[in-house]
Amino acid sequence: MGGQLSKMMGKIFGSKEMRLLMLGLDAAGKTTILYKLKLGQDVTTIPTVGFNVETVTYKNVKFNVWDVGGQDKIRPLWRHYFSGTQGLIFVIDSADRARIDEAKQELHRIINDREMKDSLLLVFANKQDIKEGRSPRPFPLTWSNSKGLPRRSPTQPSAVWGRHGMMLTMIPTTAMKPQEVTDALELNKLKDKVWYVVPSCATTGEGLLEGLAWLSNNVKAPPAPAKK
Amino acid sequence: MTSIHGSLPQHTRTTTNQSYSNGQPGAANPRASLSSFPSSRSASQMSHSSRPSRSPQPPIAADTDRTSDPSSRSNKTSSAGSRTGASSQHSSLSAPKRYNPDAQSPRRLRSQYPRGSIDNHVEYILVASFDIDRGPVMEHQYPVAITGDEHMLAELMLPDQAHVRNQDWTIFFLHKDTSQEEDEEEAKAKAERRRRRKRRKDRAAGLIPDDDDEEPDEDSEDDEDNDDDEWDDESTDSEPEGGEGPPLIYVLNLVNTKQDKTVKRGAVVKAMAICTRHPFLHIYKPLLLLALEEYFKSPVPETLAMLYDAVNGMDLSLMPKLSLLERHLLLASDNKDLFVEKFAQMIEMRMAEDQKELSQPNDAGKSMLKAQEISRAGTRAHLQGSPGYSIPRDTHEFESKVLYKGIPIPVKVPTAVMPETVGDFSLIKLIQTFSDPHAKSPLPFPVHPHLTTNGPNTHPVIVLANALLTQKRIIFLGHNMPSGDVAEAVLAACALASGGLLRGFTRHAFPYTDLTKIDDLLKVPGFIAGVTNPTFENHPRMSTPITEGLIYFQQQNPAFANLLGGPTTTATTDLTGDMVFMGDILKSIVARRGERAIRAKWRDWVLKFTRIAAAFEENVYGASALYIGGDEYEHVTGAGGHGYVWADDAAKQKELAGNDLAQVYTIRPLKGLDLHHLHDRLRSQKLNPAQSRDVYMAFAKYVHSYDEICLLLTVAPESHAGLFYLALGLFHKDKDVRVKTAHLLERVSDHMAGQHWWRGLSRFEKLAYHRIKREAEAEMKLKLEKEGLGPEVEKRVS
Repeated sequence: MGGQLSKMMGKIFGSKEMRLLMLGLDAAGKTTILYKLKLGQDVTTIPTVGFNVETVTYKNVKFNVWDVGGQDKIRPLWRHYFSGTQGLIFVIDSADRARIDEAKQELHRIINDREMKDSLLLVFANKQDIKEGRSPRPFPLTWSNSKGLPRRSPTQPSAVWGRHGMMLTMIPTTAMKPQEVTDALELNKLKDKVWYVVPSCATTGEGLLEGLAWLSNNVKAPPAPAKK
Repeated sequence: MTSIHGSLPQHTRTTTNQSYSNGQPGAANPRASLSSFPSSRSASQMSHSSRPSRSPQPPIAADTDRTSDPSSRSNKTSSAGSRTGASSQHSSLSAPKRYNPDAQSPRRLRSQYPRGSIDNHVEYILVASFDIDRGPVMEHQYPVAITGDEHMLAELMLPDQAHVRNQDWTIFFLHKDTSQEEDEEEAKAKAERRRRRKRRKDRAAGLIPDDDDEEPDEDSEDDEDNDDDEWDDESTDSEPEGGEGPPLIYVLNLVNTKQDKTVKRGAVVKAMAICTRHPFLHIYKPLLLLALEEYFKSPVPETLAMLYDAVNGMDLSLMPKLSLLERHLLLASDNKDLFVEKFAQMIEMRMAEDQKELSQPNDAGKSMLKAQEISRAGTRAHLQGSPGYSIPRDTHEFESKVLYKGIPIPVKVPTAVMPETVGDFSLIKLIQTFSDPHAKSPLPFPVHPHLTTNGPNTHPVIVLANALLTQKRIIFLGHNMPSGDVAEAVLAACALASGGLLRGFTRHAFPYTDLTKIDDLLKVPGFIAGVTNPTFENHPRMSTPITEGLIYFQQQNPAFANLLGGPTTTATTDLTGDMVFMGDILKSIVARRGERAIRAKWRDWVLKFTRIAAAFEENVYGASALYIGGDEYEHVTGAGGHGYVWADDAAKQKELAGNDLAQVYTIRPLKGLDLHHLHDRLRSQKLNPAQSRDVYMAFAKYVHSYDEICLLLTVAPESHAGLFYLALGLFHKDKDVRVKTAHLLERVSDHMAGQHWWRGLSRFEKLAYHRIKREAEAEMKLKLEKEGLGPEVEKRVS
């Protein structure tokens, strides 16, 4: 698949760079996703003051991924990062049912912005490994120690491609499943928007690369020349 | 809470809970008083010069004693003991009778930060933290909350990417708008505020023992009156400092990120800030380090109060106030004794005061005065423990201490701070930051007539200076750099472009700012800002036409790489001399000439620039706003003219063409006669005897007073051969020129600062001086003239 994909991408866009903006409520796991993608390991993260930005290369595509802090007082700053964004990665804590409505409102606020109208929307339904709602413990520790063994379940519809191309299936948990997330975020209401929900687990990396692949496959126009 | 020093009365604004505008045009928001943005200004405002120029004291009456022997005077310099003897006559505050009035400043010597001033060194202490659920929040403010947008402050205190480093410093400025209507209210509020402050202080004293309380405690109205009197007095003999509007509040902020596995989400991020009107805010760094550490342990307002009381207990009352010219001289000189007399005098005045307090009114015994020792810090006498006052070992710094939690923290306060110099920065570092990449692989700039004065390969530092001088929008973007480094670079750039001469840069500087301020930033037509967020670079608002001329300087990414379409011919012509200049600067840095030398060189560059601009304006428009000449001086034969001196006319044309810059703002030259111009002529032009005669005679005629001699010394700095060219007048073919020059040098050698220049003269010139003096005196005797009248007679003749 790798060779095909890169050929395909070479056809689709001349420049192999893509600007991604990763947003979501605080403690959704954005920074953990970023550094899992960048370093291939899960790092202990602390709240992001401002932003993180890293370049991640996958299948010959250079992804400039911006990860911006999600506390409510700094959400008004998100708009400053919109310009030139080709893909929005919206990360939700699938186990945090209490705040899914808040997440929905923020998401709609973002994608209704004029500057985001051409952006793809990828939703990471993150923290799929959490079994009992939102963990009260510090989440980095919880995450690194809670790798549940994937159990085959052919009826489970949310099949995704794992990192090694293996078919993985998420175990049923109290974390919201992609369909639930789709409904809760009211994604079906979105017209003229290309979106995709991927169940993910930042600490194991599940779902992350599939998300990137989807983004690079679906990006339409070549990225606008970087403005200086 | 009022401004502290060197301000005109209209600058002594106070901060209250009253309403101010937050600096946005038409924003009638009474809540926001302090803003990180200046009030909007018209583009021309920076170059305004509506304030009447304040020249130094006019030449005092010519019949003063000008016959003292310089060699005898010049002894009385470095040893504190002899100074004490010599100047005990000045120890009375009221009416000092001076030996030679021109040897010392006619201004009353006063402290930069007098005892018992109601103005605190530090006005506020703030603590903010990054709340894991909400984001930046203000936790505490002491003694009271700064009115205005507290959230905006909290954001600035928690700079972007604070989470990736354990510690970071930021600096930002707060602007305050005061309109005329508010003035009266302010005056009323001031009394009330003082009462409140005292109450607070009492309250604080209840919580924390306050061991140094010299605050005037009276609530009475008389006290208030005294205060006003003092300010009136101040304004009569001090120079204008601020230039534009009320002084800024400088904020030094320390942010710490502590990883802590026991807390939710694994880290605590807290910041503590000191708000002061002192430009030397860097002295508080060690205290902030201690206090923030303390705050992590006990996050209560009392921790803030403890710091507040400690820093405000700092005693700077023995630091003499220096005039602008004196500060120029001190900053340009490596001499550690320059103006040491003033420090001694401060101490003598204090000792006299102490005496008065001890033994009641009549006759404070002089014997007791002698009992207390003054010693030079660092000397043996000092170390051997005379507990009394001490003169700093280097007059560039005033040593004091802050008692924090019982530990005396030594602080060194710069005694001479030029306008536009805020904080502690290094011009060398700034220059190297931009020079090193330029030297390796120069990235051509897009050509702009104001900026690239040497073509696309103009040195980036010159582009920066040009951009500042022409009010462009400049952003220092230091991605992955500590925000403290970025802020320092901005402060250095302000000082670079100002050279201590031009003003208005810090008022439009944002040493550190973030995305939340981007909309406000764009309302300011010309600014320099430090940011660490690369989003600034591709922000759509930053590339709209309104920001034409916006310049990014950054280290990591070659921002200009794909910008150039212009000619890539390497500029081989150096019309402005800037390439030579930068070469010289870089050579000096490599030769480790030191920060002071580099700053002095930049001051020369800025001075040259303003002088060229003056000459340019005169050539093109027929008049220059940069030159405010007193017409009364213009009739002097051959001594007219001002501005830059070129070796020949062709050089002049070349250089004027190279500097196509018209937008300049400046303070005015202090005097009608352009001493610099005259001195330049001596230095760089071949003058025939008649021409040089005119120049020497002009110097001799017009340079008398203390300030005039100071000015003369600034145009003949020790680093540029000092008095050498002047002293050449001792060898002029006309005898009267020789005599006049000798008189001038005598005045210089009598001068508090001039004595050091005199000592720098070559032996050859000194001998010539003594010979001329002897001859003149012999002649005088022959004529049986009275000695005291001599000079006056000569003056009338000339």
